Amino acid sequence: MPRPANAIDFWRGCALVTISIDHVPGNLYVNYTLHNFALSDASEVFVFLAGWAMRLVADGSAARSNPGAANWRLVRRSGRLYVSQIVFSLLALAILVLGAVVLNAPFLYDWNAAGTVFADPVRGLIGLATLLTQLGYFNILPLYVILMLMAPVMITIYRRWPMLLLPASLALYAVVLASRFNLPNWPAPGSWFLNPFAWQLNFVLGFSIAGKTGIGAFARRFRWPLFVVSLPILALGLLASQTHFAPISPQTPWIRLFVAFNKTYESPARLINMLALAAVVPGIFEVLHRVIAPVTSAFAKLGRNSLSVFCVGSLASLVGQIYRYVVGGGALNDTLILVCTFLVLWITAWYTEDLSPRWSLRWPSR
Amino acid sequence: MVHRGSITALVLALAFALAPAARAQAPVVAAAAFSASCAVPDADVATSGSLASLGAKLKAGDPVKIMAIGSSSTVGIGASSRNHAYPSDLSGILAKALKGSHIEIINRGVSGEVAATTAQRIRDEVDVERPDLLLWQLGTNDALSRVPPDQFAETVNTTLDWLKENKIEVALIGLQYTSKLARDANYIAIRDVLFKIANERHILYIRRYAAMKFIARTRAKVRLLSPDHFHLNDLGYECMAEQVAHAVVASLFVKRFRPGAAR
Repeated sequence: MPRPANAIDFWRGCALVTISIDHVPGNLYVNYTLHNFALSDASEVFVFLAGWAMRLVADGSAARSNPGAANWRLVRRSGRLYVSQIVFSLLALAILVLGAVVLNAPFLYDWNAAGTVFADPVRGLIGLATLLTQLGYFNILPLYVILMLMAPVMITIYRRWPMLLLPASLALYAVVLASRFNLPNWPAPGSWFLNPFAWQLNFVLGFSIAGKTGIGAFARRFRWPLFVVSLPILALGLLASQTHFAPISPQTPWIRLFVAFNKTYESPARLINMLALAAVVPGIFEVLHRVIAPVTSAFAKLGRNSLSVFCVGSLASLVGQIYRYVVGGGALNDTLILVCTFLVLWITAWYTEDLSPRWSLRWPSR
Repeated sequence: MVHRGSITALVLALAFALAPAARAQAPVVAAAAFSASCAVPDADVATSGSLASLGAKLKAGDPVKIMAIGSSSTVGIGASSRNHAYPSDLSGILAKALKGSHIEIINRGVSGEVAATTAQRIRDEVDVERPDLLLWQLGTNDALSRVPPDQFAETVNTTLDWLKENKIEVALIGLQYTSKLARDANYIAIRDVLFKIANERHILYIRRYAAMKFIARTRAKVRLLSPDHFHLNDLGYECMAEQVAHAVVASLFVKRFRPGAAR
């Protein structure tokens, strides 16, 4: 039996739907997703909640009784994420080829940064295999792969020196932002779109706040003051996103990323905005669940099956992009894409959660 | 418009301007001439914009960093190798045109990218690289992804505002010309919006569509496109680089806006 709908799964489901919408450029509903109302976007929420979920696992009896086995499960999960990234990147490439051939549209070979692979398949395939080539909108799983590889270290620090985890994570974050270190792309120039060594702080914050000790205890004890403090932060985030404000980049290189609203390096302003969201928004789930339980349950179902939903959602967004090229945009088409995408995501979750166990078929991982 | 005749004048003016102060460090400037295959009328090269800060840095003999960002035309899809992408060709042309200068060109192209995604990357990349000039090639994928022109315009305008606040000079590089895309209403709408933005903001705008169309109509034997009739080939990228170089060199010492011509 799947666990009942809860706030974490619900917001994860919301983040997954938002990501799917954001990945169809130009569509009407892109104007109403989180990034229009805050400095942070759905990917930040998603990673924060992944850290939160990791804490629940780490504090579970299975992980505490056998930490070695729990760590090995994290490494295996990293492997499953890697396989998912490779398989779904190849499926995305196949969809683009099919579209390009059927529609006589050679520009589809370029979409989602696929041009790197098609133009130079020998090096491009090595790039895909090593995660140094990432298709556009397929940048989150490589980040997860690294985070899962880092997770055993994080959890070991948490068990032995719980007060050290957040400072260690902050120190790594500060060094990365000051040095502007990032993993490279290859064979294309540039670097990773989501820098795992910066984004790990987001993950660790989720992990830490989910706990009932340390900063988690602080967040619970001062829930209402934090709620009140967060409101003006959210208002500023709303103002900045609506006015497209971004700070002037300082001349001094090492402080630039601390000041900016940089997504690649998950700059502090974006993190603070996301923490403010975390302080204000979660309570809404309880209210919504009392009023529209079927809807909140549907979103929670997506959240419980986040890997499969994310992967299939990436392909659904790609099909949505091609559909828009053929048929055009507009309210009707964009609404159709939105409804179909949600249905595809829900069917994927239903298959993963309800159908595949009955058929003894398993999705690689939830 | 950038007038070819005016380039000579500008070059002479520059040589004069450089003479007293910074002769030892400043580059020797020569016009970035077109090859026979790529030559187009002045009106089809670019609309005018000032790159005076870049010019001042070059005049002082300082090293400059140019970032080329955009989609497949920046990556160099369709070229025989990465060395034939337009930023690589541009590097060679500028090295000859601005002898003695220290110009680093960074390629940050990502194929198939729409302007909204590039806009996000521009902010992220500028934080890291802090270029003196940003060459932003855009529009084609927005047109084909059916991004509404007003949404596209908002993305471009807000990004240009931010670049201006950060005192980073920018040149916009417009959409390519192909006979098939010339019949696409959305494609033309995005092209026109981009032209309008550049004209209103007095930003250097490389009129790639006009230049490619001119060559396609007047030189039947000159092929700028690869066999897929969409991406540029080596010659196409060479012509693009020449066009960009021509416009950039001419704009280094433009201080005031001169109205552009029809698209």
